[in-house]
Amino acid sequence: MTPATEHDRDMAARFVARMDGENWSEADEAELQLWLDGGAGREGLLLQVHAAWLATTPAAEEEIVEEAPAAPAFWRRRGFMGAMAASVAAAVGAQRWLDARSSFATRVGEIRRVPLADGSVMTINSGSELTVRMARGSREVEIAQGEAWFDVAKDAARPFTVAAGKVRARAVGTAFSVRRRETGVEVLVTEGVVESWSEEDESLRLRLAAGERALLSDTAVVHYESDRASAVDRSLAWRSGMIDLNGTSLSEAADEFNRYNQRQIIIADPAVADEQFDGLFRINDPQGFAEAVKASLNVGIDESDPRVIRLMKSQ
Amino acid sequence: MTQGEVINALARRRMLAAWMAREIVPHEAGMRAWLARARVSAEDIDELMQEAYCQIVSLPSVDHITAPRAYFMASLRHMMLRRIRRAQVVAIDAIEQVENWRDESIVSPEDEAGSRITCQRVMAIIAGLPERCRRVVELRKIEGWSQKDIAAHLGMSEKAVEKQVWVGVRAIRAAWANAEAQSAQRMDQAERGVGGGR
Repeated sequence: MTPATEHDRDMAARFVARMDGENWSEADEAELQLWLDGGAGREGLLLQVHAAWLATTPAAEEEIVEEAPAAPAFWRRRGFMGAMAASVAAAVGAQRWLDARSSFATRVGEIRRVPLADGSVMTINSGSELTVRMARGSREVEIAQGEAWFDVAKDAARPFTVAAGKVRARAVGTAFSVRRRETGVEVLVTEGVVESWSEEDESLRLRLAAGERALLSDTAVVHYESDRASAVDRSLAWRSGMIDLNGTSLSEAADEFNRYNQRQIIIADPAVADEQFDGLFRINDPQGFAEAVKASLNVGIDESDPRVIRLMKSQ
Repeated sequence: MTQGEVINALARRRMLAAWMAREIVPHEAGMRAWLARARVSAEDIDELMQEAYCQIVSLPSVDHITAPRAYFMASLRHMMLRRIRRAQVVAIDAIEQVENWRDESIVSPEDEAGSRITCQRVMAIIAGLPERCRRVVELRKIEGWSQKDIAAHLGMSEKAVEKQVWVGVRAIRAAWANAEAQSAQRMDQAERGVGGGR
């Protein structure tokens, strides 16, 4: 093998940058193949440069388990990529979708990214259970418990519907999350438009655009917020392994951490439950959160029990 | 090549690179140090690493590899032995070093420290990039925005964003290679210093 020249490294970096975007085309692939065939070891060099580029992402991403997909994933849904996704799926074999039903469950603290056969990607949050069913004319996900975020590949012929109890959210090609909570079902839209309704009362049909969120019960829209794209982004910080607090009460913040960790945070003193707090924390670091709370609010912490962290008014 | 094949090829490349980034890159400094101890020159280390990466690309799948780091080191070792056998003059202790190699699957503290330092250094490299490039690379790598979103946000064309990413990729690759070489050297010196008459 000949050692890589500076020019080779340049070319490898150029291809990595292009692959990093969303416009990779047949022409690009052909150009890359031509370059790869032009010298021994270029495949390895390309992988090396590509891996170095990806390796510098902050550590939070390490916790997200990449499922080995049976079909292509990772590309973005828009533009011709979406159309390509549809054509790949068709090439892969339509009969495979028919009644292809699969179930997924995540443990506490586990966040899982699952590429679907149609090119969509779903990221399942901690402690969730759901079933995916891909059919010729529809794509359906049923959330039995928990939350997932969907980056939906465009396919007008097959609407993508997420069901949680009696609440439904439907998209054609967009990105949104659905969370099943005790008080109802929360739908958050990060991109495009999602239609949401309840099987119980079809008149409650709601169109949510990017940056909007709604909490729906079986019979009513409980809560609706719009034009708060930054709040939506914050609520989805879990996708990168983070919890983003912004004026959140301590009791809500504790609930968030308790979703992901065996070691539970207990607010032992109701007097501090409503204290508000800001900050960006790693999902698996309730201790770091407790320390930060201690440092900035008048709150004491007790960590003597390895299973819990108690927060109370400091004496 | 059909569009489907293009997508599959791209998806496979991205997935493999993400796997390498997660499983191998953090240990590279340690592996390079190990090669340096076996008296492999810096240029040869680069070549061996590249060859080992090539070997990974040639695999139909990496799903069966349960201990990626040990696998990668075993493949480096194999290539090195082949090289030594081909070479006419061989340093005795080089062979000994390679023969005595064993699978140290546990990440050594040096490895940990090495990759942490490297990561910090890369962040410093990003911070030192020219303004426009730095903003693009930060949004892409730290905030995780797509190139398309960055283009819209900064009012640039997607091609222009890609160009800045290219500059960033080059700088980061150079930073990794540099940091690795330095930490390999440092570990090697420390080892010789402490080990004495090896």
